[in-house]
This record gives sequence, C-alpha cells and structure tokens, in this order.
Amino acid sequence: MKFKSRKKEQLFWGYLFLAFPLLLLSIFVFFPIGFAFVVSFYDWNLLIPDKPFVGLGNYFELFKDPVFIKAIKNTIIYTIGVVPVQTLLSLFLAFIMNQKIRGRAFFRTAFYIPAITSSVVTSIIFVWIYSKPGLLNYGLNALGVDSNIDWLTNPVTVLPSIMILNVWTTSGYFMVSFLAGLQNIPASLYEAAKIDGANQWQQFWKITVPMVRPVTYFVVIMSLIGCFQVFDQIFIMSSGGPDNASTTMSYFVYQNSFKYFRFGFGAASAAVLALLIFATTLIQKKYFPPDVY
Amino acid sequence: MKQLKVQKIVFFGILGLATLIYIGPFLFSLSISFNADKDVFEWPIKLFPERFTLDNYKNVWKELPFGKWLFNSVLVTLIQTVSNVFFSALAGFAFARLEFKGRKLIFGLLLSSLMIPGIILLVPKFIILNEFQLINSYGGLIIPGLVGVTNIFLMKQFFETIPKDLEQAALIDGCSYFRIFWQIFLPISKPALAAVAIYTFQGSWNEFLWPVIVTYTEDMYTLPLGMASLRTELLTDWPLLMAGTILISLPTLMIFIVFQRYFVQGVASSGLKG
Amino acid sequence: MATIAVKDLEKVFPGAESATIKNANLNIKDKEFIVLVGPSGCGKSTLLRMIAGLEEISDGELQINGERMNELSPKDRDIAMVFQNYALYPHMTVFDNMAFGLKLRKTPKDEIKQKVEHAAKVLGITHLLDRRPKDMSGGQRQRVAIGRSIVRNPKVFLFDEPLSNLDAKLRVQMRAEIKKLHRQLDATIVYVTHDQIEAMTMGDRIVVLKDGIVQQFDTPMNLFNNPQNKFVAGFIGSPSMNFLPGKVIQKEEATFKSKSLEFAIPKDLRPGLKPYIGKEVFFGFRPEYIYDKQFEKSKRLSENMEIVVDSVEPIGSETFVYFHFIGNPEHSFCFRSDSQFSYGIGSEICIGVDIERLRFFDKETEKRIM
Repeated sequence: MKFKSRKKEQLFWGYLFLAFPLLLLSIFVFFPIGFAFVVSFYDWNLLIPDKPFVGLGNYFELFKDPVFIKAIKNTIIYTIGVVPVQTLLSLFLAFIMNQKIRGRAFFRTAFYIPAITSSVVTSIIFVWIYSKPGLLNYGLNALGVDSNIDWLTNPVTVLPSIMILNVWTTSGYFMVSFLAGLQNIPASLYEAAKIDGANQWQQFWKITVPMVRPVTYFVVIMSLIGCFQVFDQIFIMSSGGPDNASTTMSYFVYQNSFKYFRFGFGAASAAVLALLIFATTLIQKKYFPPDVY
Repeated sequence: MKQLKVQKIVFFGILGLATLIYIGPFLFSLSISFNADKDVFEWPIKLFPERFTLDNYKNVWKELPFGKWLFNSVLVTLIQTVSNVFFSALAGFAFARLEFKGRKLIFGLLLSSLMIPGIILLVPKFIILNEFQLINSYGGLIIPGLVGVTNIFLMKQFFETIPKDLEQAALIDGCSYFRIFWQIFLPISKPALAAVAIYTFQGSWNEFLWPVIVTYTEDMYTLPLGMASLRTELLTDWPLLMAGTILISLPTLMIFIVFQRYFVQGVASSGLKG
Repeated sequence: MATIAVKDLEKVFPGAESATIKNANLNIKDKEFIVLVGPSGCGKSTLLRMIAGLEEISDGELQINGERMNELSPKDRDIAMVFQNYALYPHMTVFDNMAFGLKLRKTPKDEIKQKVEHAAKVLGITHLLDRRPKDMSGGQRQRVAIGRSIVRNPKVFLFDEPLSNLDAKLRVQMRAEIKKLHRQLDATIVYVTHDQIEAMTMGDRIVVLKDGIVQQFDTPMNLFNNPQNKFVAGFIGSPSMNFLPGKVIQKEEATFKSKSLEFAIPKDLRPGLKPYIGKEVFFGFRPEYIYDKQFEKSKRLSENMEIVVDSVEPIGSETFVYFHFIGNPEHSFCFRSDSQFSYGIGSEICIGVDIERLRFFDKETEKRIM
C-alpha cells in the first residue's frame, strides 16, 4: 500500500487496528452507559410493550422500597466488613511470603488457589461447610463449642458467613499484588532500619506499610469495587435469603431486572449502586491518595 | 538462641494453619467426591472416605448434561481467549506505537470506562442483545466478552517497553505497520500474550453472572452455571456435586501451575482482575 | 551514486517552543563520509532521522540524487540505518536479521543467501549466522547491525551513534573497520556521534551542530585550524581551546588587554582587528600551540606570558599543565607540554603562543575575527 505521508499511513493503520475493538466496546460499554440512565427513566418491562416515561419515578420508588434500603445496608456492612480484613490479611500473607522460607512457591500457590477457582466451586464447598451437619459445626463441637446453627439460613449469621468466604477467596489474589510491591522495596532500607535499631515489628509498620502504600491504594479500590458488586456467592449460597437478610444491591438489581424483568426499576437501582461506588472511590482518592515516595 | 527457636515454631505454626485453611476445603471436597456413601453428613467427618469410589466421576457424565455444559464452556472460553489475545494486541499496538489524530481521546475514553461498575451495563446489554435476538444463544454468551479493556492496557504497557529503534529498523527494512506488528512485535511479546491468554481463559471459564443473565435453558448453560443450578435444584447428591466442582476446577488449576510465572507477572505488572 | 541535499530544513516538534532544527543547509557529495557532531540535544539525531524518513520534515526540502524525499516513507528512500542499540530483531537468527529487508523486497532466495554470506564474510561474522542476538557480545551485535544494512546495497548509509555502547578499545577498532568498509562500499555515509575525536578521525567532512543550528560544515583540519566561531573552536580539539576575555585597545600599536595579560597584537593580525579597537573580544589559543620559552627557540612566539602552574597531569607521551596568568587566578588554562619537561606545582614559568595560531573572537556574536 502507498501512502502520501507517514502520518497518513499511521492514521490508516491506527484506526484499522482499533476498528473491531472500538466497535465492540461502543456497543457493549460506551453506548450502554448512557442507555442505562435512559432506561432508568422509563417504566420499562420486557414483558409489557408499553414503556411510559416516568422521570425520576423509579428512583422515588426505590427509596420507598424497604428491600432496597435493606440491600443498601447489607452492601455497606458487607463492604466495611470485608475490605479492611482482606487488605490486612493479604498484606500479612505477603509479608510472610516475602521471608526466605523453604517451599515458598508451594505456600504461595496454596494461598492463591481459592482466587483462581470458580466462585461457583468455592461457594458450593462452603455451602457444605456452613450447613448444619457441616464441617464448621463439627469443628466447633470438636473444640468444645456447642453449635448446631445452619449458618446460611440464619438471618444473623448468613451475611458474615459469606463475608468470610469472600475474604478467603480473594486474599490470595491481593497477596500477590502486595508481594510485588514488597519486592520493590530496596533491601538497603531494612538494613538501614536494623542499624538504627528497629525490630521486626517496627520495620513492618515504619517501612513496609508506608512503602507499599500505592499497592494498598490499588488493593483497597479493587476490593471495594468487588464487594459493592458481590453477586455470585449470594446467588449460589443464600439467594438473598432468609427474608432478604443477605440481599445485596447487585442481587437486588439482578432480581428486579432479570427475574421480574423490570428493566427501568432495575436500571435505576444499578445506577444508584454505580454512583455509590463512584463516590466511594472519589472519597478514597481524595482522603487516602496513593502517595508514591 | 532459644527465643529464636520459639519464634520459628510459632512462625511455622501460623504458616501451617494458614495453609490448612486455604487448601483444606478443597481437600474435603476432593474426599467427598470419592465417597461411595451418599450421606456425607455423618459425624465424625473424615478426610478419607470409608468406601472409596470413582463412580461419582462417571455419573457426572451420565446423570447430568455435563458434556453439553463442558462443550459450551470450552467454546465460549476458547473463542473469547483467542479473540482477546489478538484484538487486545492489535489495539495495544495502535495505542503504544502509532501516532494518529484522536488516539489520546480514544485512549482516555477507554481509561474512564474502567471506572464504570459492570453492574450498570447489564440491563442495556441485555436489551441490545434482545434486539439482535441473541438472548440464550452462543452469540449472546460470547460476543460481549470478545475484547477487554484491561487486556488492551496490558498489551499497550508491554509494547511501550519495546525499544523504538526496533520498529524503525523494521520500517527501513521495508515493513508495513501490520507487518511490524505481526512479524516483529508479536513474536517477542510472548510473555505478555500468555498473560492475556491465561487471564482471559480464567475469567471466561469462571464467569458466572453473565451466563446467569443471558441464558435460560439448561442446554445453553456453561459449567459454572450448570453446577450452580444443581445446587438449587437437587441438593442431595453431594458426592456428585463435588465431583463436578473438582472437574471444573482442574483446567484453571493446571494452567495456573504450569504458567505460574505469567500469572504473577500479569497481576504484578498491571494489577487487574475483573 | 548518491548525493544528498538538505535545503532550508526545519524541524519543529508539536508543542515545542522552538525548532529542533533551524534552517539547515548541506550539500553532501557522492561517496562522502559525513559526520554530524555536537553536544547532546543539539539535534544531530533528529537531522539524521529526518534524512531516514523517521521524523517528519516540518519545512524545507530533502533530496537524494536530486529527487525530493520529503513525502517518501523510509523503505522507499533506498537507505539503511545502523542504530545505537543495534535494534536487532531478538527472535530472529543473525542470518534472518540480515535477510529480512531483502525478503520483504522479494529478492530470490539464493540471491539472499549469497548476499548475506558475502556481507558476513566481509564483516567476519560467518560463524555467527545461526546465533540469536542475545547470545552475542556487543561488538558482534554491532557487526550484525552493520551487516544488515550493507546486504541491501543502499544508496545511503545512516549511522546513529553506533559505537557509543562499546568499550573504549573496541570502539577504536570498529572506527577503523567502518572507515575501511566505507572505502570498500563506495557509499555515501552520514554518521552521527557526540564524540569529537570519532568525528575528526572518521569524517571526510563534519557538520558541527549546536541548538539545532549548523555551526560549520567543513573538513576536520579546517574545523581545527579555522573554526568559524568560538563554539566550534572550543568543541573541536582535546583538551579544548583556551579562551581569555579582554579588550583591544590602541596604544602605540593595537594591543590585547585583559586583567592579567597584555600583549601587542602581531603585525599580520592588526588590520583584521582594527574595527575592534575599544571592543571586547575573546583571545583564543590552543593547548597544543603553547610553548615554554626556555626550551622553544625556533618558532615565532608571542610576547612573554608569565604563568603559575596549578596542577600537572602526565599521560605518558605528553603532560597537560593547568595554569593561570599571574594576577588572575579565576581563569584556568591548559597547555600540552612534552613529557620530558617536568613542572612543580606553584612554579612560575614564561610561555609564548605560536604567532600563527593566535585566534580572536567577537565577544558578542562569538564569530571569529582572526
């Protein structure tokens, strides 16, 4: 092919290379973002041909819906419970994995396996563990604690149980992120701290924690976004029950949109969730920025 | 010295306990999958079944549409992986190495699309696919996942590390930009391509939410959705269920063990997960 | 057969405040070895890349053999280029690296083989043809990079600091080899370096660049003996030329006067300096042309200059003596002395400069006066 100039040549190839990805992303990402809000202003139901414009009607209805309020509460509890524990645990695991220990690759793999396993698999295994005659109650009884709750059908324990599963599955993943951050800290910093008289504990808090702050920022953001949208485990383990005790916002979105096919109402609830996530990440960016030293 | 020894014991104690917590559940599900007794809730719970059998692994294929689900999963995963590798490399190359009007704008758009929670896109995507009559079809399962923005970023970042001289030498040698991409950049980008492939494979294979939404007949289910539907429909045959979950986990586990290097690289260099 | 004409060439990078190359004009003859030299950031690589077609030409014209090249892509200019970091394709063997350009031009297979093998023989890398770049030393990679450029037998060879990643000894050796190659190939070469010694030893003619402006385009000896301005005078030669600021005043004769040094300007230079009476100038003199009056009797030297030795650097064959003029310790200078003479630090001696080699520069424009 002949081109008039190198500029034109690059223009041609550039858009040719981007053509298919851009087309696809336009249809399934860019357009839907705007379309989602449009839908949320209509009483749009898949099963009913008539789609009257209702303005903010869906949003008003949402905040009058006790299930939605419950879902917001559950989502916030879930997030506040999981994110800090998960972040600290994965940093702790990474710190251990960063020591010179024999069989490090084995331990790393062990911690990482839950993260690469299908959420369906881990959920099903934990359904068994949490069931009344399951492993958890058996273990507690073996330790002398008399326990025979059915963890997933009890409204008090269902959400914490799923939260623990979430920490278990993703902490290995974030451990690897932290590990990469830890390995970027020059050894000379620790040596200098040792000479200054810092013990292991002080080294961890005074050197490791501040030095991995950019990774922490990333981990917290990813963890937040994941928790706000938690769905798979809820769907498989409790279906939002009992009595909406474990209905999260994303499960609420799913139920209304794809069980009752109330697209307008579902889209409005998704928009609220999206705005909540957006606001949270903005707050984090403003008050806990990822300082790089 | 004595104190050091105590420290060591505590350290390895914690390590051992943690390892048990992380892989223990898998060991128990493995054990249940080999159990010949249907009632797995008999206390005391044992790690080794009293009556060992492989029947559960055979029955998965006989009693469930496991073969059909496997076919669906393989089809979806394969097409999405190949497509993601190719197109994210193409787009990554354009962003990293070509200068053209609108590049920065488009890239900025892509970047900001990462901020959008996927949940808000579900309803519009469903409506669009419904317009094209792709609900409950392979098209509906596969097409939305053919290109991923994070993969494009990963490839762009990798391509940016390749010295500019290399592409200029190729230009002088007489390459077109497609040839530079195809004959120079792709062959030397195997680690990044592998990371994208593995990452996409894992994501597609484990994807749950999208199949839940877009399919409604059992013959269109993928493996995770199929197994999950069993949990709600016939939660009595635990050994069968566990045999299924073990089978689903094998491909990702094996790929992880073989390609661990790329996995860690991918996570570390761009820090991405869907 | 290839001439290169650079006419009023300009390069302005988008968003940049000033041009990277300003109004460059060069006429390069067939088979010439041209070196572009200058400090880092002077635009020498940009100019080379514009000739290659890797950088767009903002204004002006580039011709090869009288044909306008501005719009042609690199592959259509019939050029070859050797890069600083070699830019070898890491996934290909040496043979494939060298053959790649020929394959793209649809050269028959046996012809490719013959051409690559010939080039490999010329460069002494026949035994490396099956290796990959990562299994070779820097010097070997450099040879492959050169080999890749010569197999195509292009009209013009472009070299972008090809030796700067090699160690000192290898650099000297490759310098000679590239020179030899130039004679064998009968080709036009444009060669970029920041090393003025490399420029002096290799170039038929040298382009000295600073801040995107061509300072002088001349033969090595002319650059050394007749620099057109203070920058060229200072850049070419090692150690560099000494400069002493001062004034031309009229006494009985025209006289150069500075804080510490004052001497009557020799007769042959007076007419040229006449317009500068009362003005500020730089007096320039090279370390090579300074002599100890005590030992040098045969040459026509300038009037006596009294100096104090600050430090001494013997390098074996000769000795660099750093000094200042008595009464002016701020300005330090250098002279090259025969290594048989030894000077103690702090000793006072009397020197003179070869009268033929006295240079004066306009303080404002920095242009050479005499």
